[in-house]
Amino acid sequence: MPERPPSWPDRLFRALLRAFPFDFRTDHAREMEQTFRAQRREAHQEGSMTALARLWFEAFRDVFTTAPREHVSILAQDVVYALRALRRAPVFAASAVLTLGFGMSAMTGMFTIVNAIMLRPLPVDRPEQLVSISNRTGFPYGLSFLDLQDYRQLSAVLTDAVGYAPGVAALDAGDGAERTTIEMVTDNYFSVLGVQPAAGRLIQPNEGRAPGDAPVIVLAHRYWQSRFAGDPAIVGRSVRLNGQPFTIIGVASPSFGGTETLVRVAAYVPAWMFDMFSAPTADSVLDDRARRLFTVLGRLQPGVSLAQARAALGVRAAALARDYPSTHKDVSLQVVPETHTRPNPEIAPFLRVAAPALAGLAALLLLITSANVANLLMARAASRGREVALRAALGARRGRIVRQFLTEAVVLALLGTMVAVPIVVFAMRALQDLIAGVSAIATFEPDFRVDVRVLGVALALAIGAGIVSGLAPAILAYRTDLSRSLQGGGRGTAGGSGSRFRNTLVVAQVALSLTLLVSGGLFVRSLDRARNIELGFDPDGVLLASAAPGMQGYDSVRRLAFYRTVRDRISSLPGVTQAAWISVPPLGITFPRAEVAPDQRPTDPDWRPPTVYTADVSSDYFVTARVPVVEGRAFDDRDNAESAPVVIVNEALAKQFWPDRSPIGRRLTADGATLDVVGVVRNGKYQNVWETPRGMIFRPLAQGGSPFATLAVRASRSPSGLAPAVREAIRQIDPDVALYDVRPMSVHLDNGSAFFIFRVGAFITGVFGAMGLLLASIGLYGVIAYHVSQRTNEIGVRMALGARAADIIRDVLLRGGRYALIGIAIGVLLAGALAQMLRTLLVGVSPFDPLTYAAVVVLLLTVSLLASFVPARCATALDPLVALRAD
Amino acid sequence: MTSRIRSVDAFLPLTPPMLHALLALADGDKHGYAILKEIARRTDGAVRLSAGTLYALVRRATADGLIVESDERPDISLDDERRRYYRLTPLGRRVAAAEIARLESIVEMARAKKLVPRPKTT
Repeated sequence: MPERPPSWPDRLFRALLRAFPFDFRTDHAREMEQTFRAQRREAHQEGSMTALARLWFEAFRDVFTTAPREHVSILAQDVVYALRALRRAPVFAASAVLTLGFGMSAMTGMFTIVNAIMLRPLPVDRPEQLVSISNRTGFPYGLSFLDLQDYRQLSAVLTDAVGYAPGVAALDAGDGAERTTIEMVTDNYFSVLGVQPAAGRLIQPNEGRAPGDAPVIVLAHRYWQSRFAGDPAIVGRSVRLNGQPFTIIGVASPSFGGTETLVRVAAYVPAWMFDMFSAPTADSVLDDRARRLFTVLGRLQPGVSLAQARAALGVRAAALARDYPSTHKDVSLQVVPETHTRPNPEIAPFLRVAAPALAGLAALLLLITSANVANLLMARAASRGREVALRAALGARRGRIVRQFLTEAVVLALLGTMVAVPIVVFAMRALQDLIAGVSAIATFEPDFRVDVRVLGVALALAIGAGIVSGLAPAILAYRTDLSRSLQGGGRGTAGGSGSRFRNTLVVAQVALSLTLLVSGGLFVRSLDRARNIELGFDPDGVLLASAAPGMQGYDSVRRLAFYRTVRDRISSLPGVTQAAWISVPPLGITFPRAEVAPDQRPTDPDWRPPTVYTADVSSDYFVTARVPVVEGRAFDDRDNAESAPVVIVNEALAKQFWPDRSPIGRRLTADGATLDVVGVVRNGKYQNVWETPRGMIFRPLAQGGSPFATLAVRASRSPSGLAPAVREAIRQIDPDVALYDVRPMSVHLDNGSAFFIFRVGAFITGVFGAMGLLLASIGLYGVIAYHVSQRTNEIGVRMALGARAADIIRDVLLRGGRYALIGIAIGVLLAGALAQMLRTLLVGVSPFDPLTYAAVVVLLLTVSLLASFVPARCATALDPLVALRAD
Repeated sequence: MTSRIRSVDAFLPLTPPMLHALLALADGDKHGYAILKEIARRTDGAVRLSAGTLYALVRRATADGLIVESDERPDISLDDERRRYYRLTPLGRRVAAAEIARLESIVEMARAKKLVPRPKTT
């Protein structure tokens, strides 16, 4: 019967059949087409369109029901078969599962962090509608309370907007004060976010607005559980916040963890009560458009695009800039989805560079891991040649065998997730502890939870890694020469192409691990450089202790008395050389800033007063911190609340304001106060170690009375040994004052903006690099050992003919060295390209730092030769007679 | 395959399409399309299997040893040689019979409870 070209219904049906598994199609496609054609013919003969339509409907339904069922049934068979096969090779299975588990844990861990900080939606009603509205022109990035009220009126684009400002307060429920992180929230905060109460009620509009309104507080659910054991009777009770009574009106719902991603908030207070927490001044901070205190989230009107909202808010911002030029001239609004500004607008851009970079490094590690497992699978495929041949002889098709091999690799990787997930959980706990230790100033507690999204990514990674590591061995098994395998007992099936592929894998592993090691090395060098940067003060032998008498509701007179008594008492302790207070220690998490202007303002109409760092210090500070006074005098006991307000500037500010004359005797204004310059001190690092010298002003602590301050104690012996005595002395002076972060300056620097990020970066990339090196050396060892085992016979002959052991070893080492050198050459190029991308994260180190590259190359070469030396040594240790018989 | 040592009971109950397919083969070898036609004819069109369902069934029944591909072909002039014919195995025959017996006992139970009338005996 002549074959006619297939008609369109035939072609369509054939296309549908592609949904069925390969084997199914091979066995039945032709018959199914015939059957379907016969059924169609029959329907035609009946002349019934309904019958024909029904036939097609059934055909489509078939594909969607029967085909997946067939796939699942094959998958189930393959998985069972794979599990059985792996149980027969427990050592292989365990090493592959562990290797993949470690490799995937790095990537899964990175994703867990990214998920927690950048991806996970806020636990609120319709979080996708929320946009962050912030000040693009830098710190402070928030908006003032009055600006927020203006933006709230843009109801064409926003249904509403909320503002919040975190702060630290001492909460006393009658059982002693405890430092907690609280949040000042606008009265619409809970209603706009759609948060429900778990007990009592939440803050209502205008609550606390009228003077004399009773102060109220809402507890976060977790804090209610941990501090009050979830006692519902707590609602209506009074607690003291910074010494003032507040009534607990309710508890937020358990699902609501707050709008901060790094900080765990314990309780919420209406923003109307902001003034209760700040220094008493004539004007409310809420009425001051210059105080940009609030982080603002707007909720878009349904159907309004981000661009429309941006345009409308921009128009309003321009109007504000016209109306309030002194404070709003430079304000430029940034309106982006809420997730884009986490954990805050200042750090977000950095994280958006750092996170993909680190994830990229983790991906490299996973690639090396997959290469290693591919290598293991190749070796296994070679030794299973006989089994494959047997199955093929029994009728298994090659496609089916490839599918089986891939399934086995994916099963291994899925088992690997059972290793990876616990590692990630453990590592995230450790990281959480590390972050919690940064400072007791706030409860830093990012939620690095392994949630459904993380598990989904872990499973996707496993399937990907399984396919990547299983594909080549599967193809190899497919190409295997079956008849030879059956005869040859399984040896040599991986033949030429197999070992070539394994060699390529090893070269790739060496190249990738070199890339990882170079990035690790660059981060370690960055940390080293950062540690050696001149800080402008002497951090060695200094103990820090922070206290917050302001949290007890002490007024400035009482605070100053406390500061004075503590300093005098601690100075006289044995082992203490000097002690002095500073309102905020340098290189912590943030450093306060102020707007300053010299007495004679430049005539340039565009000139704006610069923002510089500011701190209040007690009289002995410069001696204690060993900051040299280069001109004028340091503060002394003459500078007090009654005397003329004075200021000491650093060299950078002196040069900026009075470039060609002495600043002593001149005046400057800082945040509205006029101050006499009495001294100039050496420049230092205040916020970051990599900052260029920035202006800084010091004011006497006695003329301000900061609500909190940190005591710097210079010790003549180990500073940490002094901690208990300092703690005890302060407790004796006033047991009620909250004391925190009692630790050596070196620990403070490690946890602060100085080194924390470098330490984390160096640690993560260092671990990645070390794991990469280990895996690459295992891979190299495996290939060389295989190579040696294949040549046992030849080596035996050579030895029998009188070859010296040294010659054999040299040959083997040369082979290993060749792979290593090719890998290193490729790796150097890769590393250079990658380092270029990491440039913004490196400090004081060129991305092409020759020392790092040289050290890594030497290290890799040494490790490679070692990895080849072991099998080489084994080869020469063989008895030639045994070796000759080895086949 | 382990199916060979599976007892007849392990296959029960059969799905209705599987029972129909085995029944269709009870009186002689048939190719796929003939099985479909037979089932449709016997059930007055009430049971119409589609090609995918049928061949998934055939596949399973073959793997379980209930049917085999038959070597014997009808008269060559009647046969399209590309078609494969299927034959009920002795195991398949026993499984189908066991399923019928199982159904009969259920019907008997329903009659005893007067859920359905007994057929008239003459």
